[in-house]
Order: sequence, then structure tokens, then C-alpha cells
Amino acid sequence: MYQKTTVIKNRTGLHARPASEFIACAKKFKSNILIGRTNEEEKVNAKSIVLLLSLGIGQGESVAICAEGEDEVEAVDTLVALIEAGFNE
Amino acid sequence: MKYKGISISQGVAIGKVFLYRPYTFKPVEKKLGLGEYPEALQRYETARRNARAELEGICQKLKDQEKAAIFNAHIDILYDETIDEEIRDCITTGGYREDWAIYCVFEKYIHLLEKGKDQLIRERVTDLQDVKNRLLRCHAGVPDRDLGRLEHPVVIVTHDLMPSDTANLDQSKVLGLVTEIAGPTSHSAIIARSYGIPLLCVEGATELLEHGDFVIVDALAGELVVHPEKNTIDLYERKRMDWVAQREDLERYRWVRPVCTDGTGIKVELNLGSATPGELEGANYTDGAGLFRTEFLYMGRSQPPSEDEQYELYKKVLLQFGERPVTLRTLDIGGDKTVECLKLPKEQNPFLGKRALRLCFEEPKMFKTQLRAALRASAHGNLRIMFPMVASIDDIRKAKAFLRETQEELIAEQIPFATGLKIGIMIEIPAIAMMADCVVQEVDFASIGTNDLTQYSLAVDRMNPLVSGYYQSYHPALFRMIGIVAREFQKANKPLCVCGELAGDPLAAAVLIGLGIRELSMGISSVARIKKLICSLSREDAEKLARGVQELSTAEEVENYLKTALKKITD
Repeated sequence: MYQKTTVIKNRTGLHARPASEFIACAKKFKSNILIGRTNEEEKVNAKSIVLLLSLGIGQGESVAICAEGEDEVEAVDTLVALIEAGFNE
Repeated sequence: MKYKGISISQGVAIGKVFLYRPYTFKPVEKKLGLGEYPEALQRYETARRNARAELEGICQKLKDQEKAAIFNAHIDILYDETIDEEIRDCITTGGYREDWAIYCVFEKYIHLLEKGKDQLIRERVTDLQDVKNRLLRCHAGVPDRDLGRLEHPVVIVTHDLMPSDTANLDQSKVLGLVTEIAGPTSHSAIIARSYGIPLLCVEGATELLEHGDFVIVDALAGELVVHPEKNTIDLYERKRMDWVAQREDLERYRWVRPVCTDGTGIKVELNLGSATPGELEGANYTDGAGLFRTEFLYMGRSQPPSEDEQYELYKKVLLQFGERPVTLRTLDIGGDKTVECLKLPKEQNPFLGKRALRLCFEEPKMFKTQLRAALRASAHGNLRIMFPMVASIDDIRKAKAFLRETQEELIAEQIPFATGLKIGIMIEIPAIAMMADCVVQEVDFASIGTNDLTQYSLAVDRMNPLVSGYYQSYHPALFRMIGIVAREFQKANKPLCVCGELAGDPLAAAVLIGLGIRELSMGISSVARIKKLICSLSREDAEKLARGVQELSTAEEVENYLKTALKKITD
């Protein structure tokens, strides 16, 4: 298992277009990927748009992404990079 | 058979009914028989594939990237791993029928998102609802009766039209509209009036009529005739032709110069709401754009419009009007509307809240982006900038300071813009109307927004149907207040325009002219009738009407007086 934390940079947070982009990116990997707030227990399937939306993560919040599987490192690093680029907003 | 109705948009339409009844699922718990689940799973798969095919078809047809993104998000939801897993589980382990399973799982997530603390997430609930409905409709094998794919001209019969219904509507295929509910300011009404489509509101219409029924929609007399006889059809066909001729006669007035019988010239200008080609066509026969609303640029998208996007649009409008002035109103929006890209908080009283200029002051980056775009565009025509929702002289000074700062930035960057730009405000809050003598020192022009002035003066929420009776456009207080403002602007010899509903209403427009207003700005559909009015009236007539109104004490008295007096003058 491989895990990293990061902070949401873009203004609208993880919903609407950024959320769609996030899950589209997550789906490219074979690993099981989970996402949640760093300070909360609850982690959800990062490939599910509905679960991601239900978290309602906004700008400035800290999130943890962890993956398990053959491409876990690449998966986590790519998703963190996407968040850190602020979804090019 | 004849039914009574209420005319919302005038005219006569004769043709076949297109019954538009969005599919509704009746939720009833259903169990599968023993060993039936493989077929249930298959039916679920088929419904999902069909729904996906529909969505992909819509995406392909849409040219607008922003809109296509919405339907792409629907595909994401339709193929959501978690939802899919739970539906399958509900069918195989729970033994429920696939439609009940779909319904339950979607409802679960709809409730979950509804509870979210973030307004933007709560708005996604409508996307889940849409996907759920589409999937269940596909499951029931009910075709998507899409208003965008009408083959022959029809009379659309429906409960009420939603903006999503009319997004793809081909207006040339719509002879008439019959709805079950429709207030004068509903979406259906606005669409019908702006396209000149007759609209009749008939209770229970979707139950009374069948798809394919032959009907006559008489939105002049307020009647709906079903299965008419041959001679009845002929009778109404003549009525329809008369109406068309009458309208064409009125249309000729579009092209005349609006001058009163004594030679007093009135400027008739255009209100622009979306700068579509249909609206901009009005530039050919009006004296400018008295109100160029910019809200539409911010609606239905996840990101605010960029400086360049705004600049290109403003420039296009300015070029269309050439020498004639275009009055650009800066963003006028608040918590009564959901604007995805602005994250507006829900407020108890959005009309008294953080809206328009107040919102712009708190979002300086967004405000300046709009001002920069407007200033850059000003190099291409005759631009005037107008600030909405002004309550005090402080507001005016603060807005002007923003504009000055933006101008200095552009100068530093050596970006050209027009010098001597005219700056004005909307007069729509009673307090600022009463300060007209001070306002006139601060601005180059002003425009009276009568809809909001009415709402704020009479303390009536104009969106609230419970108090719609209290929204009195002809309340004498309004004419008194407009009179005060008009006097101050005349004294200072500065232009004053009226751009609300009253400007496009012949009864009120006559009084406005009498009060000294020389600029009226209105929607394209009112231009012809207001020009006709101006040409049949002298300044003295108008002033007499205005004096008459000042002596009356109720809205009803004003309306009756104007109807009688104006008829005498124009006949």
C-alpha cells in the first residue's frame, strides 16, 4: 500500500468538473484507490463520482489518497499531481 | 369541445398536439421470483446501455462544451462503480426487481448528497435525479420525447416547460403552447413571448388531450377547441390570418423614427439579455442598447467567464450598434439564482442581500475582470458603464474608484480604451431615487429599473406568488418617485432612461414621457408598439397624463384613468 497527503488548491474544490476529471484519472489505474480527509477515518472509492461528491471536499482541505495494487505508486503520484496543479483552473 | 384557458402570449394556433409528458416512475416495492435474477440483471444492463446511448447522442449534438460537460458527468454517474455494485447486490442478494433496485440505490445517494453542507454538492442532486429518471424511463421502454427533434410543426401540450426542455427547442416547429401552469413571468411565458408563440394556460390540459389530437389554441379569447368541425377550422383560420396581419401592421412601426406629433424625439433602446443574433437584430431599428445585461455570461457554468471571452462578446455587441450607445450593466446577480461559478451562499432575503454591486465589491478580482473586459471593448464603440443595486452615494464612489483603478492598470499596461467613458447607475432602490439631486453630481447618466424599484418601494418580493397581488406596477408612488428623479436630471441636463417593464408598456410609457423621460429601453418585442404610441402622442398630451396621474391615489385608478385617457388621444 502506498499513501500520500495533499491540500486542495482549486477554488471549487472536488466537485463538478474537477471531480469528473479526478475519477476519470483514477479509473486509468488498476489499483484499488481510496480517498478521504486526512483527519477523518472515512475513506471512499476514488473511482466513484457519487462517493467523491458525497465527501464534499472544498478548497484548503487536506486529503489522503492511498492505493493498493500493481500500479499503486504511479496512481497516487498522478492523482496528487492533478490536485496540486489545481485542475488547471 | 371547448375549454377555457388563460392567455399568456397572444395569438392563434391550429394544429396537432404533441403531448410532452416527462416520464415519472411510480415507486412500488417489487420482489423477484426464485431464480429470476439473471434476467433482471440483464434488463438492468440493457436499460443502462440504452441510457448511455441517449446521453452520448446528446453530447455529440451539443456544440456548447460547457453543456456537453454536464451530460458527460451524467455518463460518469450512470457508470458509477459504487452505484452499479449496490444495484446488482440489491437484485441478486436482496431479490428485488431491477427498477425498484435502481430507484432505491439512487434515492439513497440523492439523500446523502442533499444532506451535504456544501451548496455546490447539493446542486449535483439534480444530476442524480436526471440520471435516475433517464435510466428508469429507458427501463420502461418509454422513448425520450425530445422537443429538439420535432419533425412537423405542432402544438406542444405539457405541464410546464423547464429551461432544460427548451434548451434544444426548434421554435420554427412550435405552432402554439398549452401548459397547465404558467404565470406571466414563468419560463414558458418568457419563451413564448420572445418567439411570438401563442401560449394558453389550461387546467388539466395533459389529461384532457391526447398525443395527435387536432386542436385550435385561441390565445386571444382564451379558448382551446378540441376536434373542431371543418367550418370551425375555417373560422379560426380567418381569425389567425387577421391576427397575423394585425401584428405585421404593428411590425411596420419598428422601422419608424420615434417622434411625438409635436416633434419631440424619444430614444427607443433595446434591453439585451443574452446577445443572441435574434436580439442583436434589433440594433437595426433602435437608438442603442439601454440595458445590456451581463448575467447570462455567468450562468450554467463552473468557471466565471474570462476577460478575453467577455471582451470578445462586448466588442461584438458594440460593433453591432456602431455610434449608438451601449449601456453595459455590471454583474447583477444574487442568492435568488444558483450560479455554479460564484458559490453564492443561500440567504434568507436574497433580494436584500449580498447581490450585484455588493457581491462585486467582495469579489474584486471578478469585478475587475469584467471592468477590464468592458474598458478594452470600449475602444470599439460607444460604451457606457452602469452599476446596479446602488443604495448610497458611497456605493457610487466606491464603484467609480474600482473603475479608476482598473483604468490606471490598463494605462500602465499600455492597453487602449475609450476616453471620456460615461458612467451611470441603476435607480432601483427608493433611497437613491430620493437622493437624485446628489446622484446627478456623481454620474453622467442614470437608468430607472422599474421592476426592482416597484419591488423595493412596495416591499413585495416579485418572485413570491403569495404576494403577487401586491406588486402594483401602476402604484402612484412609483410615478411620483420617477417624477422626482426626472426633474433633477432635467435640471442638470443629463440623460435619464427607464429600462424596466414600464418602458415597454404603452400606458406607462406615455406617463414617463410626460414626466420628462426621453429614453426608453425595452425588450425587442415591445419596440413596435411603443414606437406606435410615441408617434400618436404629443408632448403636451403626455404631460397632461402625467399631471392626471399625480392626482390619483390608487393603482387601479391610475390604470383606469390611463386606459380611458389614452384611448381618447390615440383614436
